[in-house]
Amino acid sequence: MNDAELIAQILSGNMNAFTFLVNRYQKLVVHITGRLIQRQDELEDVCQEVFMKVYQNLGKYRNECKLSTWIATIAYNTSINYLRKFKKVDEVNPDDSAALRNLTEYKSDDFEKADLHRYIREQIENLPVQYRTVLTLFHLEEFSYQEIEQITGMPEGTIKSYLFRAKALLKEKLKFVVDENSLKLVKEITHEE
Amino acid sequence: MRNEELDQMVEKSFRKEPDFYLPANFAQKVTFSLVRREQWKTDLHEYLYLTGVLFSLLAVVSGFYYFVDKEFVLKTITFVSENILPVTLILFLLNFIFFADKVLLRLLFSRWNRT
Repeated sequence: MNDAELIAQILSGNMNAFTFLVNRYQKLVVHITGRLIQRQDELEDVCQEVFMKVYQNLGKYRNECKLSTWIATIAYNTSINYLRKFKKVDEVNPDDSAALRNLTEYKSDDFEKADLHRYIREQIENLPVQYRTVLTLFHLEEFSYQEIEQITGMPEGTIKSYLFRAKALLKEKLKFVVDENSLKLVKEITHEE
Repeated sequence: MRNEELDQMVEKSFRKEPDFYLPANFAQKVTFSLVRREQWKTDLHEYLYLTGVLFSLLAVVSGFYYFVDKEFVLKTITFVSENILPVTLILFLLNFIFFADKVLLRLLFSRWNRT
């Protein structure tokens, strides 16, 4: 069943079709929402709110963009509102210097004991919220620059800049901790995937 | 070489799914909540609509009856204004019973069914 048929079914009152839609897009929503709010205990409620909004506004959806883009927009706005409501404003506004400050907290000695996989993941989660958003949308969900612009309202140039800087930040962090010996481990991990 | 390896690793890590998950029955739970919310809205609208109709009907009948038996209507108005507290309480109680029947009990039953 394609998206247009699915929407028609939901609008005619078929709730099984809505369950189908939730199943189809819950991964997208959980990636965006999870990366933004970073709280597993609140994730279910926020995701539920996203799908409630999807249902309530489905009648207003016009085929101007893909359904996934439209749902991602709702997920992004809901998560940002959640952050504004329950967290510090700093989390919503990107701050490179803060992210760089975290960098110095990691020492080479600590790294040797740490799991590299987890370390990289932690570093991504430590990036400022706007960086995490564009990274998730571009690399994980494979949205185009135009679609990300539509979802987040950020100009294309800013998106590109965030992507570039996020990569540079992460590389900087890794360079800081990964020495020549550890690079073997890096190679193993890259090849095993 | 080191830079390339780092590049490759960073790119791969960007494509990795974050460690966040939803329960397996999430879609069913959302649909259930939605159905319940829609039902609650429908019940509330129905209650408000019926209450409105009932009071409008009462007003129209009273107005019409005023021309048939003016004295009775005036007596009734005097009785109501003299006993405003008990009349209001009885009306409130009847209205609450009606609200409980149309909205509240249905909502509670749907919650109990869920658990």
